[in-house]
Amino acid sequence: MIRFESQRVSLWYIRIALCLFCLQVVLGLWLSLNYAFTLPQWLVDVFAFNTARSIHTNLLVAWMLLGFMGGTYFILPLECNRELFSTKIAYAQLFIFAATAVTAVIGFLFHWTRGKPLLEIPFPLNGLIVVAALLFIANVALTIIKSKEKSALQWMLLGGVSFLALLYLFGMPFYKNLNTDYYYWWWVIHLWVEGAWEVVTAAIVAFIIMEVTGVERKVVEKWLYVETGLFLFTGIIGTGHHYYWLGAPDYWLWWGGVFSALEPLPIVLMVVDTWMHVRERKSPIINPLTWTYIVGLAIYHLVGAGIWGFIHTLPPINYYTHGSQITVSHGHMAFFGAYGLLNLTIFYFALPRLKNIRKYRDTAGQWGFWIMVVSMFFLGLVFGVAGILQTYLERFLDIGYSTAHITMMFWFRVAFAIGIVFLCGALITVWHLFTLKAVEVGASE
Amino acid sequence: MTGKTARLIFWLGTLSSALIFLWLTYDFHRQEPKYTQVDKLSEEVVAGKKVWHRYNCNDCHTILGFGAYYAPDMTKAFYRLGENNIVSIVMHPEEVYRNSFRKMPQLGVTRAEAEQLVAFLKWVGTIDNRHWPPQDEKYVKAYYLREARAQQLEKVDIVMGACGGCHSFENQGRNVAGDFSDIAKRLSFDRETLVRFILNPQSVKPGIGMPPQNVNKETAGLIADFVLALKIPKEVQP
Repeated sequence: MIRFESQRVSLWYIRIALCLFCLQVVLGLWLSLNYAFTLPQWLVDVFAFNTARSIHTNLLVAWMLLGFMGGTYFILPLECNRELFSTKIAYAQLFIFAATAVTAVIGFLFHWTRGKPLLEIPFPLNGLIVVAALLFIANVALTIIKSKEKSALQWMLLGGVSFLALLYLFGMPFYKNLNTDYYYWWWVIHLWVEGAWEVVTAAIVAFIIMEVTGVERKVVEKWLYVETGLFLFTGIIGTGHHYYWLGAPDYWLWWGGVFSALEPLPIVLMVVDTWMHVRERKSPIINPLTWTYIVGLAIYHLVGAGIWGFIHTLPPINYYTHGSQITVSHGHMAFFGAYGLLNLTIFYFALPRLKNIRKYRDTAGQWGFWIMVVSMFFLGLVFGVAGILQTYLERFLDIGYSTAHITMMFWFRVAFAIGIVFLCGALITVWHLFTLKAVEVGASE
Repeated sequence: MTGKTARLIFWLGTLSSALIFLWLTYDFHRQEPKYTQVDKLSEEVVAGKKVWHRYNCNDCHTILGFGAYYAPDMTKAFYRLGENNIVSIVMHPEEVYRNSFRKMPQLGVTRAEAEQLVAFLKWVGTIDNRHWPPQDEKYVKAYYLREARAQQLEKVDIVMGACGGCHSFENQGRNVAGDFSDIAKRLSFDRETLVRFILNPQSVKPGIGMPPQNVNKETAGLIADFVLALKIPKEVQP
């Protein structure tokens, strides 16, 4: 059911992304064990928490970027009404990107690292990532330029991925001053997740909604402009909520506080417009699971990124919660709610079409979705409880570090158990995606 | 709302935010010397920052509250632990955390690297970041109080500043390797041996876990006097 042969390149992007996703969850389970129990010194010497953590977070970035790129390659030919500029470039870029990611992970095991959180990939490999990104952008840009039809969505996608690649450069130099280092570190981390990634997300979601609801393009694009405008308006200055305690002028408390407090607004808008489009759809629902995912994505995005972020974004609260397990709670809920579910939505949109399946059997997929969504919510709560205990004991009552952190052992045993449940959900989902089976339409509805 | 209004909202929102942000970034750099001691960013400090990166410290510890949340924040670690304790912990974590519920890996950090790291952490501690983290502010205050009366420092302050990472005394320091009052009771060394022991424990008691201490001979003598003085009450008893 694909209309263009070159859409097929996305298949391998999606497959690799799904494998990395499972691996990321496994590493997460291992990390929770580091908190839950006292590990023997010899084990800590060989495979320390920092190594496992850099693998966990880099796999997250890798599978999500692969998902974005695969998703872009899947929808771009449809949006441009022509084949991709080059499938060879797409495969070459996939190979470079995936090989670099795998090399980086193996390198981490042998302490080959830049030692900069989330951006640990050392220089020569970083260069390869840039090459892959440039190939990707060139391929997308040339496809759009050569297309006879121009649309806002095309430019939004191209703008989003170019912005994404541009920001990555700010994380690459060595900064002598730790304060400057972290100032620009947030240009990558914050402006990615609350800027560039949001733009890409909004564009992809807009496209999927348009495709499956049959809602008019004009309406969808209008929403897209307003949403991305608000995302960037609040998100760019909202970066300031990371500058409260790194040694920066006082005005950041105001700029950062006010603008980041507004950050949930565009997400609310996204929930509203998704809901409206679903109600006013012109096409019949073929695969209910796609809907479960689209609506789930909008709501979870609001809860994880919006509400959970808002809770500790204001300076008087952040003074106590900054750099604690509360951040962990927010991080997990936001990444899964906004970008984990987005990628899975893309996969559920693209894979049936790539396999020429109109309607698929979705029982396992529904189970997978609900297990993941509910267990991740509880995981967020457990991290949150650990974080509240930690900040209350250590920073409010001024009881020593050890006392505050020993309380975590219990909560991380709970987190490990919930993590196992989440892993089951993830495995069911991935298995379901890998083995989609067609159902005869109209057979037994 | 027309498509034109929507486009206007997009461009106005994005560009206004970006322009304000870039201007604030310019101002951030302009004011940087006020918040960080740019003039004291010596080669030693920069070398220490590279050590910090080389061993991926930041994927367990936070610094300025950023990084992983597995181990304590290092922003004010210099004030909290002091030079000698940082060197001991970084070079011999397997000894310092032998009985701890949480371990730190033996990273193979050299003495030179550990000292560079201390220089880096000392510099980071001076960043004016609105007294964050809250729990370490008491150590910062105590440090500057001691600095202000460096000439008339109480012996116990000097001793605990150097040994408090592993030894405790009257509710100060951490009891990893014993409380000084208990140690004094069982101690059989004379002053000279004790000084030698502090500087290089292996030369006196081969196989002991205590690492060599990063203090000069004078301070070692002072510590020895302090510990030996605790012995006296026991000796006068019949």
